[in-house]
Amino acid sequence: MLQIVKRVSRGNEGGGAALMEKSLFRYIWTHSRRDQLIVCAVVLASLPFYFMSLDLPRQIVNQAIQGEAFRDGNATAPFLHLKFDWPAWLGSGTVEIFEGFEVGRVGLLMGLSFLFLFFVVVNGAFKYWINVAKGVLGERMLRRMRFDLFSMVLRFTPEALRSVKSSETATIIKDEVEPIGGFIGDAFITPVFLGLQATTALVFIMVQNVWLGLIALAVIAVQFTIIPRLRRELLRLGKQRQLASRQLAGRIAEVLDGIEVVHVHNAYDWERAEIGHRLFNLFTIRLKIYNRKFFVKSLNNFLAQLTPFFFYAIGGYFALRGTLDIGQLVAVIAAYRELPPPLKELIDWDQQRLDVQVKYDQVTQHFAEERLAPLLDARQEAEDVPLVGPMVGEDIRVAGPHGDMIIEGGAFAIDLPAKVALISNGGAAATTMARIIARRSTEFHGQIRIGDRDLLQIPASVAGRRIAYAGVDPILFPGSIRDNLVYGLRAKPLRRAAEDRREMDRRIAEAIRTGNPLEHISDQWVDYERIGARDENDLDRILIDLLDRVGMGDTIYLFGLGGRIDPERDRDLAERVVEARRRLRETFQTNGMADLVEPFDPTRYNSQATIAENLLFGVAVSDEFRGRNLAENAQFRSATDRSGLTDDLVQMGLEIAQTMTEIFEGLPPGHSLFEQFSFIGAEELTEFEAILRRHARGEGRLTQEDRTRLLALPLAYIETRHRLGLLDRRLMSRVVEARGLVREVLENSGDGVEFYDPDRVCAAAPLRDNLLFGRISHQVANARVRVAEAVAAIVRELDLLTDVERIGLDHQVGTAGRLLSPQERASVNLVRCLVKRPDIMVIDGALAPFDEAQAQQLMEVLIGLLDRQSLFMVLPNDRQAGAFDAQMRFRDGQIIINETAQRTPRSRQVEPGGAQTTAGEVA
Amino acid sequence: MTLETEVQSLRQVPMFRDVDPARLKLLAFTSERVQFAGGQRFFSQGDPSDAAYVILEGRASVLLHTPGGDIQVAELGSNALVGEMGILSDTPRSATIMAAEPTTALRIDKRVFLELLAQFPQMSLAIMRELAKRLERTNAQLVAQSSS
Repeated sequence: MLQIVKRVSRGNEGGGAALMEKSLFRYIWTHSRRDQLIVCAVVLASLPFYFMSLDLPRQIVNQAIQGEAFRDGNATAPFLHLKFDWPAWLGSGTVEIFEGFEVGRVGLLMGLSFLFLFFVVVNGAFKYWINVAKGVLGERMLRRMRFDLFSMVLRFTPEALRSVKSSETATIIKDEVEPIGGFIGDAFITPVFLGLQATTALVFIMVQNVWLGLIALAVIAVQFTIIPRLRRELLRLGKQRQLASRQLAGRIAEVLDGIEVVHVHNAYDWERAEIGHRLFNLFTIRLKIYNRKFFVKSLNNFLAQLTPFFFYAIGGYFALRGTLDIGQLVAVIAAYRELPPPLKELIDWDQQRLDVQVKYDQVTQHFAEERLAPLLDARQEAEDVPLVGPMVGEDIRVAGPHGDMIIEGGAFAIDLPAKVALISNGGAAATTMARIIARRSTEFHGQIRIGDRDLLQIPASVAGRRIAYAGVDPILFPGSIRDNLVYGLRAKPLRRAAEDRREMDRRIAEAIRTGNPLEHISDQWVDYERIGARDENDLDRILIDLLDRVGMGDTIYLFGLGGRIDPERDRDLAERVVEARRRLRETFQTNGMADLVEPFDPTRYNSQATIAENLLFGVAVSDEFRGRNLAENAQFRSATDRSGLTDDLVQMGLEIAQTMTEIFEGLPPGHSLFEQFSFIGAEELTEFEAILRRHARGEGRLTQEDRTRLLALPLAYIETRHRLGLLDRRLMSRVVEARGLVREVLENSGDGVEFYDPDRVCAAAPLRDNLLFGRISHQVANARVRVAEAVAAIVRELDLLTDVERIGLDHQVGTAGRLLSPQERASVNLVRCLVKRPDIMVIDGALAPFDEAQAQQLMEVLIGLLDRQSLFMVLPNDRQAGAFDAQMRFRDGQIIINETAQRTPRSRQVEPGGAQTTAGEVA
Repeated sequence: MTLETEVQSLRQVPMFRDVDPARLKLLAFTSERVQFAGGQRFFSQGDPSDAAYVILEGRASVLLHTPGGDIQVAELGSNALVGEMGILSDTPRSATIMAAEPTTALRIDKRVFLELLAQFPQMSLAIMRELAKRLERTNAQLVAQSSS
């Protein structure tokens, strides 16, 4: 296993290229030389077969069918007679290779025909292989290029990031390199192949008649000078178009990111006009490109036809004068017919080359050298010793954005580990210093040493492990809370995941060929040992404990109750949940709380649940069984039809529509009450009114569509909640009777619904529902709170709390963590830092979402947790600074350290006055 | 008991007497019907005011917290509205309401109630009229007290 890991780290070329080559061709040549040559060789090898197959039809017609081979009364003719005639200018002669078989007329026909078939197959095979090889070659290079570019994305300097738009970068890596990839397969092969073809034809003409050859050459020379010149403008336009469409993508992303501002300021029209204008510009550029492109194309065609004109006119003239043999002229013209297609393709290829080169230049410009940080090998094994000891800053100078000095000649000395409060003076000094200590900013003069090591010289691998930084913006990636929490523990894979041997070899071979990383994301990346965890479960416990301490325990518990368990994967837990379900029921019975929750009973109608839920007696897994889709679902409808419920449900739908249109009338569309209470959306109100009018006028029966719409309404109806008096005992029992039928029909048609079973966990339902296995009463006052308390008690009693919270760790945070509240995001951010057990933790504004009391409490928790580690925290004032070992103040560009004389016991009593100036002031 | 009967009950409440029946139906529909066991509290003195209640069935006691313990100052029966002052004035509960027997009430959520008032001026007017009447009555009582 270890060996493989070693191979992995060796195989990787330091994570992408240092810089992109200036020239696309050099880039292609450097990375795909071998493949290009192989494909080229195969193309050349295929040529003789191709020419043979072109020649064979003529032979079949002339020799076998027309019988030229048998002209002299021969009964047989040689088949597969291989000989080579020297051309006249090399002194004619014939070399016999194989005499061939003597065969009859039919034999020759069949022989030649099968030979033709053979060449067809061979040519097909060659073509297939060449196409695949070119495609694969292009794809590999595309993969390499994309990966190289992405590696450069990771190296953008903070300064560059101010001007780099994320969406534009994404478009570049995804879309703009795509045509380059398509071209790579043809980059060398096409010119070689076509050039060869064209040269052959040209040489042939030359051999026939030097002057005519020179004419052809002259026209080609004109073609090759004028056309590219004309295309220069085309390239400029292409460049413009690329930039404009990239900016369009950037702008769309900007609008989307800032959509709230657009809504707030009602700037729809402005944005629409803005994008409309951009689209107009794009169209204009495109139009110019089209005009130019097709003009050049016609000119090119004209030039190609000019040569035959010369041949006819001049060659004909010489022929009339008798200086040129007519046979020669005909041969030249015939040979010239072979010349234009490869020439045209060659010019097209050249056009494509320039086009792609422009694209490539644009791409490399985006990743220009000055925008990138120097290539750091984050993997280099470095001496990993704790960051403790005297931390000394000397002559630190930091300039602000306007040339002013934020820190000027500041110096300090602190013994780490220490808890240091960086007290803001209202300016940027404290934040700047925090960023410097966290190595987020390297833009400063002077030196900071920890022990005898320069802070800036500490390798990235050590810094990443031993320094943590929590800023104002808690950046979360989409995924579960757990994914985000362990993000800082994924420095490198420690163990390979079990993988299919052959698939792994293939994956690794490809990675090596394309300069991609060899690691698999399913390898074990998390370093459990480092944080003192035994395994995955233990890590979860650590995470939960930390979340608990920063005050997010209850939230995680609630997330857990809302989460789902997989009974297949976690059998033990599923059993315990069913056990807890039973205990909960008993508790409700014995404590007189039986009326709080109405359990799901296969034989009884659950009056706290919707009609849909009562009919399904389960939870929809796929969308077609959810909400209103259920009414449109053919299987479900066939079940309600067969049980004779459809008419009753439609009747209920009519009554609900009647009531809704009556009581929600006059409420403006979009009013929150609609969303919250109405069965019918504001926009549908008029449609339902129309249905009701049609029905009232007795205009025949309701259409099928109307019935479906009406049927959808009662599916969401809960008698005890909505109290429209639509359900009586008789109807309830009919619904219960229909359950069996519904289940039968739905079970036959795949798994769209997961049915309730009192003895099993329902994987589609949240854990909360699985514990209750029923619905909380809408009628009993305060039922929800009392049930929640009872559930919490049982969960604790059965020791399920950790399991519930572990499910809570699976909770998705959404894009940029938008599914979490600001406080939750900040807590996750803090725990992500804490779980690394950093030697130095830097906090700047990470507590901003909390109110003062919460922030104070959190600060104490942090100080307590980072017992033997260092904490640097930016504080707005010194009110809370007493709990720290030292305060770092900033005055007139100087850094002043005050050590807390008598460290306040780490509790709630904070004495701002407990600080005293010592000799820490160095300046 | 259905929505219709609740609307009938609401109509008995002086504050809602003049409100359009369709609006009362909306008010009833957006409210919850809840049951309290005997001795269960609707809310306690000092709690934040989050809802008003109309008693549909049963009785409830109004209790005031005193140093000597809770004392009952009044008893409410069917169609009584309680807790409306708290949600209108946005002040904590001034008294404890406790079900004297199994009681059913209509719980009118504060947010929904205020939204309805904001949406339908006619409803606000009816409320104002009732509040003005109460003020008038209180004034009259004060006058009667001071003259006696």
